[in-house]
Amino acid sequence: MQAERVGSLFWFAVGLISMYGSTRLGLGTLREPGSGFLPFLAGCFIALMAILVLLQSFTPKKEARAKLAALWEGVNWHRPLIISLLILGFILALESLGFIPTSFFLLLILFRWVEKFPWRKVLIVLLLTLGSTYLLFDIFLKASLPRGILGF
Amino acid sequence: MEFFANFITGFSVALQPINLMFCFLGVFIGTLIGVLPGIGPVGTMAILLPVTYGIPPTTAIIMLAGIYYGAQYGGSTTSILVNIPGEAASVVTTLDGYQMALKGRAGPALGIAAFGSFIAGTIGVIGLQLLAPPLVAVALRFGPPEYSSLMILGFVILTYLAQKSMAKALMMAGVGIILGTIGLDTMTGMPRFTFGIPELLDGVGLAPLAMGLFGISEILLNVEKKIKQELLTTKIKGLFPTREDWRRAIGAILRGSGSGFFLGILPGGGAVLGSFVSYALEKRISKHPEEFGKGAIEGVAAPEAANNCAAQGAFIPLLTLGIPSNVVMAILLGALMIHNITPGPMLVKEHPQLFWGVISSMYMGNIMLLVLNLPLIGLWVQLLRVPYAILFPLILYICLIGAYVINNSVIDVTIMLLCGVVGYLMRKFEYEPAPLVLAYVLAPMLENALRQSLILSGGSFGIFMVRPISAGCLVVAAGLLFSSLLPRIRQKREKIVAKAKEDE
Repeated sequence: MQAERVGSLFWFAVGLISMYGSTRLGLGTLREPGSGFLPFLAGCFIALMAILVLLQSFTPKKEARAKLAALWEGVNWHRPLIISLLILGFILALESLGFIPTSFFLLLILFRWVEKFPWRKVLIVLLLTLGSTYLLFDIFLKASLPRGILGF
Repeated sequence: MEFFANFITGFSVALQPINLMFCFLGVFIGTLIGVLPGIGPVGTMAILLPVTYGIPPTTAIIMLAGIYYGAQYGGSTTSILVNIPGEAASVVTTLDGYQMALKGRAGPALGIAAFGSFIAGTIGVIGLQLLAPPLVAVALRFGPPEYSSLMILGFVILTYLAQKSMAKALMMAGVGIILGTIGLDTMTGMPRFTFGIPELLDGVGLAPLAMGLFGISEILLNVEKKIKQELLTTKIKGLFPTREDWRRAIGAILRGSGSGFFLGILPGGGAVLGSFVSYALEKRISKHPEEFGKGAIEGVAAPEAANNCAAQGAFIPLLTLGIPSNVVMAILLGALMIHNITPGPMLVKEHPQLFWGVISSMYMGNIMLLVLNLPLIGLWVQLLRVPYAILFPLILYICLIGAYVINNSVIDVTIMLLCGVVGYLMRKFEYEPAPLVLAYVLAPMLENALRQSLILSGGSFGIFMVRPISAGCLVVAAGLLFSSLLPRIRQKREKIVAKAKEDE
C-alpha cells in the first residue's frame, strides 16, 4: 500500500499546485468566471480525490493489496529505463545530427544491443525501416525532417 | 424519403476512389493492430493523426473510423487462435473461441466471428443512420447549461464504469481538464500554464499526449517482460459454420448487436462493455449454460457481434452531440477539430458530405473486413509469428517520427516522452489514462459551456437545475456518484470489475 500512498500524495501535490497556479491566473467572479476558474475547480477536485485514495490506502482490502503487489512483482526496471533514455537521446540529437543518422543509431542500439539480433538481421531491418520511413515522410508526405550537420 | 437522399449523399462520397482507398487502409491497419499484440486502436489512431493533416477531413475520419471498427474484427483472431485478446473488446471471445480451437473447430469459430461481426456491423450502421437525425433534432435545442451537464454526466458514467478505482478515475478526469486548459484562454486571450514555452501557447497537442499515454507507455510496460507468442499448430479448415452452428448463433448475433449498439451509445460504454454484457446475457438465457467456457459457439458470436455494433453505436453521441463517448471517439473529435470542424448537431447541416460519407463508408468497410478476415485469414495467422522484439522498436520509431512531424518540433516529442513515462507509472499505480484523455479533449468545450451558462444566469448555479434536460443529467450523475458510495452497490460494482479482470 506504500505505492498507493506515494501516488496519492503526488496527485495531491499536483492538485495544490494547480489551485495555486489558477489563483494567479485570476478566478474572476461567478457572474464572469476568469481564466483560472475551471483549472481551480479541477485542482480542488484532484486534491480531494487524492485525499480519498490516501484514506482508502489505510483500510486496504486483501485482493486489492495482492493486485497492486502483482503489478510490481518481478519488475525489470532497466529495460523501460534504457528505452526512455534512448528516446531522450533521440530528442537531443535529432535536430543537430539529422533525421537519418539519429534514426540509424537509435534502431541500431535497439535491435543490436537491446534485443540482441544478429548483425545480418539488424542491417536488413535497419535498411528497410529507414528506407520506408524516409519515402513515406520525406518524399510522400513532404514532412521537412531535420537534415542536421551532415546535410541529410 | 429523406433516408434515401442521405443514403445517396453518403454513398456518393464513400465510393470516391480516394475514400475507398483510405477506408481500405483504415480497416487493413485496424485488422493488423487487432491481430498484433502490444498496440491497440487508440495508440494507432494517435500515431496516425499527423498523417491525416494532409488529407481531406472526410477521408481522414473514414480512415480513422476504419481503424477502430477494423480492430474489433482483428482482435478475435488472436483470441481464438492463441488465447490472447489482440484488443480489450475481444477478451470474452477467448473463453469459448480458444476452446473451440482446441477442439479442432478454429475454422467455424473464426467464421462465425467474422460473419457475426459483419452482420452486427451492418445493423450498427443502419441504426446509426436511423437514429442520428432525430437525435440531432433534440440536440439542436441544447444550450450551454445542457451541454455542461451532459459532459459532467459523461465523466461520471465513464468513471463509474472504470475498471479500477472510481476515485482515481475521477482524479484523472481532473488532471485531463488541467491539461486541456493549457495554452491561450479563448475568451480572454491570457496564456495559461505555458511556463514561457511558446510552443505551449496552442496547448498540449492531442497526438503527442495520446501517443505517449497509450503508445509509449504500452511499450515500456511490454518490454519489462518477454511476451510469449504461442501459435496453435492445427490447420484451420472449414471457415463456414454449419447449419447447426448458424441455428445456435444467429439469435446470439442479433441479441449481441442490440445490446452492443445501445451500450456503445452510453458514455464510457463502448465495445468492451458491450462484449461482456452480451456474453453474460447469452449465458443466462441459454438452455445449455454449462457449455459456456467449453467451446459454445454462442459465446463467440454474441461478444463479437456486440463489440462491432458498439463500435458503430459509439459514433452517435460524437456525430450528433459533439460529445465523445469513449477515448477513441475523443481522438476522432480531436481529428475533426484539427480540420476546423466542430462536431455536434450542426455537423449534419454544415458538413452533410462528411456526416453521411463517414457513415456510408462503414458499409464498405464492413464488406472489406469480411473479405480481409475470411479468405485472407492465413496472412494474419502468419503475422502472429512476428516477434514483439521486432515490432516494438518499429512502433517506437514511428511514434517518434510521427510526433516530430506534427509541428517539426522536438517539444512534441518531449511531451510524448513525458506522457509515456507518466502513463507507464500511472499503469503501475493503477490509474487509468482513458478518463484523462477524454477530459482533456472535452475541457475547452466544458469550460466555454460552463462560463456561458454562468454569464447567462448572472452567476447562479440554479440555471443547471431549472432546465429539464440539464437537471435530468445532473440528477442521474449525482445518483450514480451516490450509489457508488452505498456498500452493497459498491461491492456489486467491484465484483463485476473483478470478474472482468479475472477473465482478462
